[in-house]
Amino acid sequence: MRWSVIGWRLASFVVAAGLIALWQVAADQRLVSPVFLPGPDRAWASLMRGFTSGDLLAKLMGTLTHMAYGWLLASIGGVALGAMIGSSKAMRSYVAPTLELLRPLPVSAIIPVAIAALGLSQGMALFVIAFGSVWPMLLGTIHGFAAVEPRLYEVARVLHMSRLAVILKIALPSAAPDILAGMRLSLTVALILAVVCEMLAGLDGLGQWVLLSARAFRSADLFAGVMLLGLIGYVTALAMGAAESRLLRWQAARR
Amino acid sequence: MAEPALALVQSSPSPARAQIAFDNVALTLGGKAIIDTISLEVAPGEILCVVGASGCGKTTALRLAAGLYEPTGGSVRFEGEPMRAPRREIAVVFQDYGKALLPWRSAAGNISLALETIGMPAQQREARITELLAKVGLAGHAAKYPTEMSGGMQQRLQIARCLAQDPKVLLMDEPFGALDAMTRQGLQDEMLALVASTGATVVFVTHDLEEAIYLGDRVVGLLPHPGRVGLELTVDLPRPRDQLATREHPEFLRLRRALFDFIKASE
Repeated sequence: MRWSVIGWRLASFVVAAGLIALWQVAADQRLVSPVFLPGPDRAWASLMRGFTSGDLLAKLMGTLTHMAYGWLLASIGGVALGAMIGSSKAMRSYVAPTLELLRPLPVSAIIPVAIAALGLSQGMALFVIAFGSVWPMLLGTIHGFAAVEPRLYEVARVLHMSRLAVILKIALPSAAPDILAGMRLSLTVALILAVVCEMLAGLDGLGQWVLLSARAFRSADLFAGVMLLGLIGYVTALAMGAAESRLLRWQAARR
Repeated sequence: MAEPALALVQSSPSPARAQIAFDNVALTLGGKAIIDTISLEVAPGEILCVVGASGCGKTTALRLAAGLYEPTGGSVRFEGEPMRAPRREIAVVFQDYGKALLPWRSAAGNISLALETIGMPAQQREARITELLAKVGLAGHAAKYPTEMSGGMQQRLQIARCLAQDPKVLLMDEPFGALDAMTRQGLQDEMLALVASTGATVVFVTHDLEEAIYLGDRVVGLLPHPGRVGLELTVDLPRPRDQLATREHPEFLRLRRALFDFIKASE
């Protein structure tokens, strides 16, 4: 069992290493002009240079900050709003049509509106990221709250639990799998929107770094930025997965 | 506070002492009469079993006693006071233990839910949880999640959570109905011992007529459509009850015949 896991890990590393090797060969053979495609060696060197002498670290922190604030705002707002809507049938029927109208709206269409209202500011980025990534959380929470086992509400009534206690001890943990799944989806959306906002509004971050590098034909810097963005996506997803399996230990017991 | 023992049970309780009283209780849901009418009294420390054909409103009657439903006619009283809502002195053991337990909380956590709600300080909870788990035969299973337990263990856990409320009344809705025969008999005896030690009043709904006689001081048979009392039997069998001796007792057999005839006639 353990050995097969190690085997799969090994295989996935081999595939990744093979792809990087292929990339190196393609760059060395000049299949694509080096102006557009640097080899992994040059991209790596640029990455190192960016961290030691350039401001790549500041850009990385910028993107992480935009993403984290927007995502946290969306998480708190989405869960709070979702709990309110999901725990009342009346609220669900009042608000559901509006949500259905807003949800499929492409966030890219919201950005000009946000820029007009809030300017090319951090506040605009925060709003756009939060607005775009709130949906999976909001809908997950609404669904999770609506799907709480009715018997548990009766247990709460028999025990005379307060409204707040019912939400915190019964509804939220019961909805946790849906909420956490929403939070994982939102993480990706938040990263994408952070990059888009940085590109459009010239905010300090990897989005701006990538855009400026591309315009100046500094392809090695461009690839360094893209690699970092990939790494952010990968690491945050890993962290989220770890948090999920820790918080949902009880579900593992079920299987 | 606690009634000393079942031996003190009176066969005909006086109204003033009734723990739970149904006074011409009627319930209409969605224009349909579910119960019409039930008058009943349960004495403190008594074990009252309720049987009846399906659709007779046994479970509904229990929910009325729990305060989960409000009667549309008559009144349900707890120690003389009209019931408007569930109260902590009354614990309910649901049949579907799998749905009534919190799957994200361990055995200890599920009992803790009741202790938290009655406001027990955190440092006292652990000792009480250990005590309650031992009481229902789950010592050493504190860290297990409900899904890691058998049906019998889950139902024991639910009973432990109900006992954590320190209830004066235990309302049990076919609590052993979903369990296999061996587990059921074991739990019947455990429940009798537990109830004897706490002195709680029990209203026990079941479709198993023998179980009703085996456990009860009194058995009430309900008639269906709408639910009403059709039969009341006093069970004059010695306690403690014994799975073999009690079930072979001539009085047990007589009551069994009477109940079977009643159910057959009511269908």
